[in-house]
Amino acid sequence: MKEEDYILFEAYLAEELTVDEKTAFENRLKTDAAFKESFNTYKELSGFLEHTIKNEAETNAFKSNLKSISNQHFNETQSTSEGNKKSTTFSLLKYAVAACVVLLFGIVTFNKMNQPAYSDYNEHGIMDLTVRGGNIGLLIKTTKAFNNKEYEKASGYLETLLEEDPENKEYQLYYAVTNIELDKFEISEPILQDMAIGDSAYKNRAIWYLGLSNFKQDKEEEAIKWLQQVPEGADYYRQAQELLNKLE
Amino acid sequence: MSEKKIHEDQKYIEGLLQNNSFIIQAIYDTFVPKVINYIKQNSGDADQAQDVIQETLITIYNQASQKKLQLTCPFDAYFFLLCKRKWLNELKKKTNKEVTINEEVLSKDDDSQELAFETSLFGEKQELFNTMFQKLGNACKDLLKATFKIKSMEEVAKSLGVTYAYARKKKSLCIGKLTKMVQESPQFNQLNY
Repeated sequence: MKEEDYILFEAYLAEELTVDEKTAFENRLKTDAAFKESFNTYKELSGFLEHTIKNEAETNAFKSNLKSISNQHFNETQSTSEGNKKSTTFSLLKYAVAACVVLLFGIVTFNKMNQPAYSDYNEHGIMDLTVRGGNIGLLIKTTKAFNNKEYEKASGYLETLLEEDPENKEYQLYYAVTNIELDKFEISEPILQDMAIGDSAYKNRAIWYLGLSNFKQDKEEEAIKWLQQVPEGADYYRQAQELLNKLE
Repeated sequence: MSEKKIHEDQKYIEGLLQNNSFIIQAIYDTFVPKVINYIKQNSGDADQAQDVIQETLITIYNQASQKKLQLTCPFDAYFFLLCKRKWLNELKKKTNKEVTINEEVLSKDDDSQELAFETSLFGEKQELFNTMFQKLGNACKDLLKATFKIKSMEEVAKSLGVTYAYARKKKSLCIGKLTKMVQESPQFNQLNY
């Protein structure tokens, strides 16, 4: 279609054509199949955009409510189905195995006491980007990969998301986190440092992650410097204090 | 065609539309367990079932609010068919080969088959439109967002610092560009058979 055709579509939908123009337009719809097909898609897209953009807030509210009911439902069913079903012998075996694991774990931790490890602290919480509008397919994939600890994949998806929306702080934060996991500190640290001096909602998390990132690289002094800056009441304050105690 | 009678289960559609927690909860309690079982019996796990169910309910919500979805069959059959279809598509994407599937748990009901088919087509289209919209340049995206949020084209033009005529023309061309992108995508032809 030519540019004029799209302008005509819009004018027709806005009911701004004269009677003669309107008749001509409708006649063309009857005779020109390509014109009709494009018009139908145009109209459908226009309706889609109008609806999606106008109702963004309501849709997001629905999605987050749905998500929380869903999580509750699945947590409950999982714990009840784990509770019964299994046979006693299997349970006994399970306990025996569990006991061995605990014992082994006890020995290992005893040896490692007061030696914190990165893996004790890389609990990133559950990501959920899907309540946002946008490229839902990609957001779902990203969320899943991240929550499954497939950081290589998640990092790639986040890169694409950031290409489309480079200023998005949430994407930036998670992108930095995946790069800490992948030991690409040269990527993660500049992002986090910018965020730590800015005033986004993720400022304190950025500070915590800078601490954690330095700790992972065995730069204890740097790590301590950052961890001390995680303010009381912030997410990860407890973890920051715990790690500080072990490091100092 | 004669006017079909709206099923009493339309209350579930209305409840979703109103973001009514009580109804959403009722859907999970009443209709979801069967879907979980089905997915578990067909190479899936609880997490995958959770995603499929959630995405399906979002599609129903979108269709209800955009297209005034009217249920002419029981919600149970409709919802199950939709989730099943979605799960089969996921499996197909993942394995790229034919999968053996336990046969129909429900009796075949033309109305629910037809309605479920319409809804899943709607969902796939939405996904495609969304992807394409994200691919538009920022200038178009911003203009369209402003246009549909503010409604009055005069104000849109003012907020973007352009003339009314220019904003108006730009809007048509941006949707035109999107139209072209959608028409040229291979998925669109699959959806429009």
